[in-house]
Amino acid sequence: MEQIVFGIGITALTGALATIAGSAEDTESNIGSQGDPNSQVQLAPQMGFVHRIFNKAIAGEPPAYGLWCALGAGLAWAFMAMQINAVLAIVLGCVLAVLVQGVYATTAYLGRTASLAKFGQPVYVDILKSMTSVTMAHAFIAIFCTVTLCHLINGALGHPFPLPLLGLIWGIALGAAGSATGNPYYGKERQYQNQKFGAGVPISASGNIVRYAEAGERNSLDNGWFTAKIGGSASGVCFGLIVFLEIWRTILFEKISAGWGAIIVGILMILIFTVIDRYIEVWARKNYGPYTEAKVAS
Amino acid sequence: MSAVAAKPQAGGAMNPTAMAVGVVMLLIILALCWYVSPGAGLMALVGVIIGGVLIGFGTHFVPVGGAPAAMGQAPGIATGVAMLAAGAGLAGLFGGAWAAEQGLVVATITGGVGGGLMMAITCMMVNFVYVFGMGIPAASGKVLYDPITGDSQKEFKSQGTEGHGLPFVSFVGGVIGGFLAGAGGTIIYLQLLSLYEATLPAVMGLPPAQVIPIAVAAAGMFAVGLFLVNAVLTAYNITGTIEGPHDPKFKRWPRAIVASAVASALCGFVAILIVAI
Amino acid sequence: MSVKIEVIEGGIPHQKIMIGGLVSTLVCLYLTYLNVLTNTEMFAFFGGLAMITALIWGSHTIKVLCSYGIGTGVPSAGMIAFGSGVIAMLLATKFGMAAPIVALVLAAVIGFILGYISNNILNMKIPAMVQALTEMAVVGALSLMGFAALITGGFTFAGLTTGEVSMLGMTVSSNQISFIGGGLIAVAFLLGAIAIQHPFNACLGPGWKQDRMLMLTAECGFLSMIVAAFMSFALISAGSAIISLIIAILGWAYTYNQYICLSKRDAAAWLDAKPIPDMEGL
Repeated sequence: MEQIVFGIGITALTGALATIAGSAEDTESNIGSQGDPNSQVQLAPQMGFVHRIFNKAIAGEPPAYGLWCALGAGLAWAFMAMQINAVLAIVLGCVLAVLVQGVYATTAYLGRTASLAKFGQPVYVDILKSMTSVTMAHAFIAIFCTVTLCHLINGALGHPFPLPLLGLIWGIALGAAGSATGNPYYGKERQYQNQKFGAGVPISASGNIVRYAEAGERNSLDNGWFTAKIGGSASGVCFGLIVFLEIWRTILFEKISAGWGAIIVGILMILIFTVIDRYIEVWARKNYGPYTEAKVAS
Repeated sequence: MSAVAAKPQAGGAMNPTAMAVGVVMLLIILALCWYVSPGAGLMALVGVIIGGVLIGFGTHFVPVGGAPAAMGQAPGIATGVAMLAAGAGLAGLFGGAWAAEQGLVVATITGGVGGGLMMAITCMMVNFVYVFGMGIPAASGKVLYDPITGDSQKEFKSQGTEGHGLPFVSFVGGVIGGFLAGAGGTIIYLQLLSLYEATLPAVMGLPPAQVIPIAVAAAGMFAVGLFLVNAVLTAYNITGTIEGPHDPKFKRWPRAIVASAVASALCGFVAILIVAI
Repeated sequence: MSVKIEVIEGGIPHQKIMIGGLVSTLVCLYLTYLNVLTNTEMFAFFGGLAMITALIWGSHTIKVLCSYGIGTGVPSAGMIAFGSGVIAMLLATKFGMAAPIVALVLAAVIGFILGYISNNILNMKIPAMVQALTEMAVVGALSLMGFAALITGGFTFAGLTTGEVSMLGMTVSSNQISFIGGGLIAVAFLLGAIAIQHPFNACLGPGWKQDRMLMLTAECGFLSMIVAAFMSFALISAGSAIISLIIAILGWAYTYNQYICLSKRDAAAWLDAKPIPDMEGL
């Protein structure tokens, strides 16, 4: 019994850490315009819309976060192997991983922008100075939470994989969840705030991203501030649910009928999410209605 | 499935000669493996091939829209197909590896359910953001009616786009894809793990208890490596984006089956050679 | 072979980079063998240099491949390179002294078959595909071997799977504290996979310049070497790790500085806290 209570406590903690990690990850990638919305930041100057948005193209979010988290975990593992206290080791490992992230961010911005010289897009050094530090801060939160949850899974819950491999797995999953949930909100809702609400961006409008703010020129910190409200929290909930439910069903139900308990609970949860998804879809169809009359469908 | 892609474009066509060469290569590798390690090695290789094919086939189900999806210009999840499949499959591998001692069947299904659960949550949250964050209903650009629910799609497509969000069929496709990918990754891991646990003590001259970390880490790393190879090959097959099982590109799956089988056989054979020679 | 659409604007031809990269990688890998001959771990840093030269070659290969438009992102190319490379590299470590050569041959075979699969079975029909995937599998295998040599001081299977842990003054041999057993191979895998694709991914665009991209590759390589040197403190003697670390930091500082200068050269303008320029006259 004590074992299970301990397991549930750790599970709750990992879920909470994952929620923070997902939220910070999405905000970080939106400030840096990483992931798919990056294509528009890249396209805008080619269409004549020179901007002051941070263009941090370091792979997609999943491989990039796979690296940051695996690196933080690997360094933490190495420091722990040198008999350094686990908390200190994780913090030191994550600090070094964040430094790598920061350097990658600056080189990505310089490289992409210098290659756009033909279209008159200048390099803004102040963007590098002010945005990189902010993305590094958010990345530190995301990496630290992920590495800590991997350490808890490995150390307290007894998962067989070594810490760096867990870092790789959950880093890629973090990036996948964060980019899937957060990207549309930044890409459609923020970059194309000048387009109609409640509709996709017409392909003809591609590249015409919003470049001016309420006062002055929009910078990427404004984007982080905007997307943290829904995109960031939704990403956090998404990754938190993934980590929490995955561990929760294993800890509580694995012992029931030799593993089948966890499977049945997992399938039940998939069905529950299917019902919720269907409800959302039908709700939107009913309340928002079609864009054109139904009879033209042929 | 002899009915090849509906559109007669170059990317959708199949190359029968190359497919035959692929099957022959597969048989040669199996024969080589039988020659080097007839018992446990061959069994493990067959498991690895099945796992690799499941990953390759499963990735076709995952609805990925790439960059246009992030602007609500195309349906699907706004990220890369290989990486999303990897995220789901590795989450499944995590669960499967945890349940490893409960036997092949339970662990594989656990891994599959882990991948499916990850995709179910992600797809649900994607629709949540589209509907409640951006006020956009889901609509497919490739079919007029959702094959599962029968909902009409065309009039819910906003002007100038190819659709947006995840219609129900894409959601189901995502869950199936996550399930297959997670199960495939787990099978590869379990096969290599049991092979390494059985043979590494003799190869390295160490007691069995001491090689377990090596066996776990090496099998885990190989599972990740094979996973990425299969997922990227599938991404090449569907050229980056797919809406789900209703997409015409889905009909290209026979090519990916052969490709995944050969690639997994090749990589699995090399992984088995480590303990066989 | 069909005609390639995009010309490589000036710069060194790919063939030259490939041969130079291959030779210097193998030489650097074999120089780590000095560790065995002199019975020290001081020459581990050659593994890092081998990794950097391999990455420089590999990033140019990615440029050659991705200028065709492969339908999915540039990062996937790095993933397939290292996914196939890690398998070849691990088998090759069983061959002791011959490991780098075996890794080269084995990875080339795997890469060639994967290239055939993508080009013919998957019908991609990209002329550079077979050669590029062959090269990238070799790069993946050799740079992982470089990482292994940098972190553990050698590239033999026994060396990668055993480590020493000192507890209360006693030194115990352990398999858990090792390159493979501890999972450091996963870190090396991703360090390489990101470093190989990042230079082209970051520098792509109409103003792509070869020297700038290759300088960025060297910078990414040295940056990866810094963190790998930190990890090597756990597995090799502190003095040897410090040598690697100092070389990595010096190399990184130089290449980073050079890269910024090259970006300054190529950029349209280099502004600090200035508004968006008025583009109406363009």
